[in-house]
Amino acid sequence: MNYLQSLQISASGLLSQRKRMDIIADNLANIETTRTATGDPYRRKMVVVGTKQIQEFGDMMEAALEGVQIEDVVEDQSPFSKSYNPSHPDANKDGYLLKPNVDLIVEMTNMMMARRTFEANIAAIKATRQMVLKALEIGR
Amino acid sequence: MNTLSFQRTFRLIEKAIGIAHRRHSVIAGNLSNLDTPGYRGKDINFKTALEQALTREQTPGMSTTHPKHINSSGRFPDKTEVTEEEGEWNGINYVNVDEAMVKLTENTLIYRSATEALMRKIVLMRDVIKESSR
Repeated sequence: MNYLQSLQISASGLLSQRKRMDIIADNLANIETTRTATGDPYRRKMVVVGTKQIQEFGDMMEAALEGVQIEDVVEDQSPFSKSYNPSHPDANKDGYLLKPNVDLIVEMTNMMMARRTFEANIAAIKATRQMVLKALEIGR
Repeated sequence: MNTLSFQRTFRLIEKAIGIAHRRHSVIAGNLSNLDTPGYRGKDINFKTALEQALTREQTPGMSTTHPKHINSSGRFPDKTEVTEEEGEWNGINYVNVDEAMVKLTENTLIYRSATEALMRKIVLMRDVIKESSR
C-alpha cells in the first residue's frame, strides 16, 4: 500500500491530456497549411488512448489498477476540404485548392474535453494529498 | 490487550483505511481514463470489502497433515474485490465524470473519518496512561 500508486495513475492522466492538448494545438496551428513534406495539405492528427496497467510486485495478488497512456498518434484519413481559388499557387489544374481536414469546432470541443479531464485528475491528486496529510496526523 | 478492545479497534480501522486507500486508487484510475474508448468504470464496495477483510481475519489457517507442512498462521494476503460498473454509454465510454468526482469526495471523507477515529482512540489511551501515572 503506497500513495505513489494513486499519484502515478493521476499523473498518467495529466500526461496523456497534455499530449492530447499538444496535438490539438498542432491541428489548430496548421488549420490553413496547404504545403507539407509529402506535398499534400496538412492532415489532422488524433491520439489513440488506451489503459496502462499500473501494478507493483507486492500487489500481485490484487487486481491491476488501470492508468492511461497515449498509444499512438494517427492521421485522420477523411477527405480534405475543397474550395475554388484558382489564383492560389497550390490550387490544382481545375482551380480547386485542397485545405486541411481540420474542423475548428471539433478541435475546440476536444480542447474542452481535454481540459475537463485534466481538471478531474488534478482534483484526484488534491484528494490524495488530503489523505496523506490526514494520515500523518495519526498519533499526534 | 483484548479487554481494552485496543487491538480490535486498531485492526478494524487499519482495514478500513487500507480499503479506502485502495478504492481511491481505483477511482483515480477511472478519472484518468475519462476519454479511453470503451472503458468501463471500476469500483470497490466498501462495506462488502470490509466485511470480507474481517471474516478473513477470523478464518483459521490451513491445517497441517504432515510435520513438514508449513503452518500458515491464518493470515492470507488481503484481496479487495474490484467490480466493473455498468455505467451509461456517453459516446466514448461508460465513465461519468460527475459520478466519479462524487465518489472521490465520499471516499476521501470515509478515509478522513477513519483516521480521525484512530486518532481519538490514541488520545483515549494516552489519557488513561496519564491518569494512572499520577
